[in-house]
Order: sequence, then structure tokens, then C-alpha cells
Amino acid sequence: MENGAESRELVRIRIDMDLEWKFARGWSFGEFFRQFKGGNIVGIKCPQCGRVYLPPRPVCGNCYEEMHEWINVSDEGTIRAFTVVYNSITDPVTGRPRKTPYGMALIQLDRSDTLLNHYVDQIDLSHLAIGRRVKAVFHEERRGAMSDIAYFRLLEE
Amino acid sequence: MAVIGTGQTKHESRRDDVSMQEMLREASQACLIDAGISVGQVEALVIGNMELFEGRALPEMWCAEGAGFSLKPSLKIATGGTSGTSAVIAGYYQVASGVFDVVMVVGFEKHSEGNTGTGMAFTDPMWDRHVASAAVGNFALSISQYMAHRGTTQQQAAMAAVKARRNACNNPYAHLQMPDLSVEDVLNSRMLAYPIHLLDMCPTTDGACAIILASEKVARKVCPKPAWIRAAATLHDQPYIGDHAERLVTMRTLKEASRRAYQAAGITDPLKQLDVAEIYDPVSYAELAWYEILGFCKPGEAGRLIEDGVTAMDGELPVNPSGGVLSTNPVGASGVIRVAEAALQIHGKGNKRQVPDVKTALATGYGVYSWADVVILSSSPQ
Repeated sequence: MENGAESRELVRIRIDMDLEWKFARGWSFGEFFRQFKGGNIVGIKCPQCGRVYLPPRPVCGNCYEEMHEWINVSDEGTIRAFTVVYNSITDPVTGRPRKTPYGMALIQLDRSDTLLNHYVDQIDLSHLAIGRRVKAVFHEERRGAMSDIAYFRLLEE
Repeated sequence: MAVIGTGQTKHESRRDDVSMQEMLREASQACLIDAGISVGQVEALVIGNMELFEGRALPEMWCAEGAGFSLKPSLKIATGGTSGTSAVIAGYYQVASGVFDVVMVVGFEKHSEGNTGTGMAFTDPMWDRHVASAAVGNFALSISQYMAHRGTTQQQAAMAAVKARRNACNNPYAHLQMPDLSVEDVLNSRMLAYPIHLLDMCPTTDGACAIILASEKVARKVCPKPAWIRAAATLHDQPYIGDHAERLVTMRTLKEASRRAYQAAGITDPLKQLDVAEIYDPVSYAELAWYEILGFCKPGEAGRLIEDGVTAMDGELPVNPSGGVLSTNPVGASGVIRVAEAALQIHGKGNKRQVPDVKTALATGYGVYSWADVVILSSSPQ
């Protein structure tokens, strides 16, 4: 008699692996996270069109002008898009499934022109809406990474 | 230049019966037979495929054997969901330049062997990887804006999902064929990320698709009904999810690519002038948003278009007779499939999914908002 697992192995093989990666921050993210670790959120401003970018980058995507002017951006902002995720998704940092459900939003921080995607502390859809105000809640220990922001807290209307 | 032949594999969630190169061979052989030429007549190959999704390095390396291209030019294009349409457009550039007369474009993905979720999660490690929530999460965010701005409902989106899976029943190659699917079934399926239900979303599919592009000189000689490429536009844009305030509502890449392609092909009223459209619909809501961006209706009217059956098989402009990406999604192949399905409507080889008397057909591609492709095919070269 043919064993079921053995016969499946003739069709597919299984390989498990652990991987480690290292990425260069570059000068724009380097400066951003240096300030971020100290509690400042900074965007970078295009000298031509005036657009303030988060995340920072060396050139404006619209004007292709080099950017050097750092702008202090608020830790408060406005929800521009939202969802509640129910589907189990592999957390790319840990490689393990993320606990669900969780709230997410695209947030425009005051004084910036782009949107930041992050968690919000609300999974009740009746409380989530475009236009709601939010404020960043930081972990006590700062590592100089975006995950230093634990989530955004909904502010009272 | 024209599309003179198309071929695709049977698309399934897992093609355990074939290796990657065997799957490629299945599509390329079908394409050569359809075009009625030998592999020796094909001068170059362009490949559409995404890294990581097959779980092995250099998936394109297997095309030499799989598609019969040893000692021939072979270049790969990877632009997310647009990979397939971008590969077609790269082939278009090659033939239009006069460098080659006959080019094969093959797109493929064998999702079941790689880890698509991990691939999708590999966003910028500096910025948003720790919150990355896959294609579903990204779409859900954009859709909340689309619904808020345009008043589109979950029911209307579900109608697009139903249309796709029912159309797929007429396509023997399609992955999800669901003849009895109802709007209620879609709305009652598991919520993945508000407002996207499981059945609003495309599947992951194993499959490959090939087309052959030929110069006018060759096309006239070997093909009785060439599908002439009248316009091809591909546009790239800024990378981050937050770089554009209202991505799905205004999607400027697709809007501008379609404007340029329509202008080149002399299309001023797409709903009237196009006879069929194969648009890249990774999620039901996106199909409706694209109706508006592609000018099939005014902003905010896509819900009415689907309700009135304007884009149904017997409507004024049938959209995705193949079942679309919502029914079949081998990512690197999905864009090639759009062009192949648009071309075979002009070739008159659609069988049960044939729209009568197609003269002008549209195919589009979507790649994480950072890319959009538009191709317009016609039964006449000018």
C-alpha cells in the first residue's frame, strides 16, 4: 500500500527557512530617524512646489528638485482613509500572523502633504471616518524606527 | 504591428501537474499553434513575471527551455500587476523600432510554489513594512475613500464580482467559474478588510499566457485577422501608498495613460467606440473605479453602469468576457491575458465568450498604483 504522505512528496517538496536582512537607511531616512528618536517628526520640503514629503527622500517626485529643507510635522493629523483588517496577515517583521482584527488608516499629519499608513486604536467601524482627528502614541522605548509609534489614538470629536 | 496569436494554460489555484517550465511550454506552444508559425520564426522573447512569487531565483531563466528561446534575446519586465501589459508594451517597442519583426511575450506566475503574501509584505523596510497589510489592506484603505467620494455601495461592487465569475464560465481557461454566484453570496462571504469580502477579491492562480507580436509585413502574410495595436501607453508614478491623496478615486497614472492612448487611437467616446474591454480588476471596487477613470461614464456613475448591465455580456460595452482578474490572477500573466483576450475577440476566436463583431478592444494593466498600462487593439491597422 502506498503511504499518502509519501505519494504527496512525489508531487511537491517542502522547504522551510529563516532569513535575515540588513538595509541601508541612506541620508534622508538617516536624518529622519535621528530626529524621530528624539521625538521629532520631520518632513522634507520641495523648494519648487512646496510639497512636504513623508517619508523623506532626496528629490521631489513631481518637480525632480533636490530637497534639503526639513519641516517639523505634527504628531497629530486627520484620517483620509481607513479600514479594519480581519484577514490573518503574516507580519513581515516577525514572520508570524498578526492578531486580528485591527484598525488601519491613511493619516495626513498636520503640516505634511502626503499620507502615513499606520494602526488606529479602533476596530468599531461606526467610530472610524474620514476627517476624524488622531494623535500618535509612542512606545516608551525608542529604537529609531517607524514602529516606535505604537498606533494613532482617535481624538474626541 | 499586430497580435497574430495567443495561447494560455488552464489556470488553477495549484498546477501540481506541471513544473514551471512545463507550464511555460503549455502557453507558448498553444500560442505558436494559434499563430500558425514555428518557434524558429520568433526572433525575441519578453517575459512578464514578479520576483518572489515563485520562491526561486531568476524565474525568467527557465523560459529558454520552457518557451524555446535558447540563444535568443530574452528580457524580463517586473512592474507588479502591470508586469504582463508592460511586457506586451516592451515587445511593442521592439517591433515598432524595426529591430525585430516577430516577438513573443510570455507572462507567468506559479503562486502556489512561492509565498505571495511575503512578497507583498516586502514594502519599504524603513517606512511601512511593520504595518504592511498585503494587497487587501491597501485596497481597503483606497476603497474607503472611493465609497465616501462617489457613494458607491457594497452591493454595486458585489455585482461586478458576480459578473466576473459568471463570465468566467464561458472561458475554459478561467480559474474561478461560479455560475450560480449571487450578490448575497458575495456580501455574505468572509470580510477580509472592510469593505472587501472574500469574493470581492481576485484569487492567486498558477498559469501562463503568451502572445505573438508581428510587424505589419509579417502579420499580413501569416494572419487572416490581425489584431492591430493602435495605441500603447505605460506610465509610472511615485512609490508610497501615501504619496497621492486619493489614489483609487483619481488614479492619475491610469487616467493619463488612457488619455494618451485614446488620443493616439482617435477615441473620444470610449463607451460608444470600444466594442469590448479587458480591464485589470484585482478587486470588485476597482473595476467600478476604473469605469470612471477610463471614461466609460462620469465620476460617480459606475454603480449605475453595473446596475444597468451596460458592461454585461449583452450590454453596450462588455467588460471582461474572460472573467477578468477577479476570476484568474497569475500576476505576471494577468496583463498578457488582458491583451490576449482583447486580441482574440478581434481574431473572432472567443467561442462562448465571443462578443459579436468586435472592431476595437481595450486592455489595461494595474500595478500597485505606481504603474498603469493601456493598450488599444483594432481590426484595422489605421
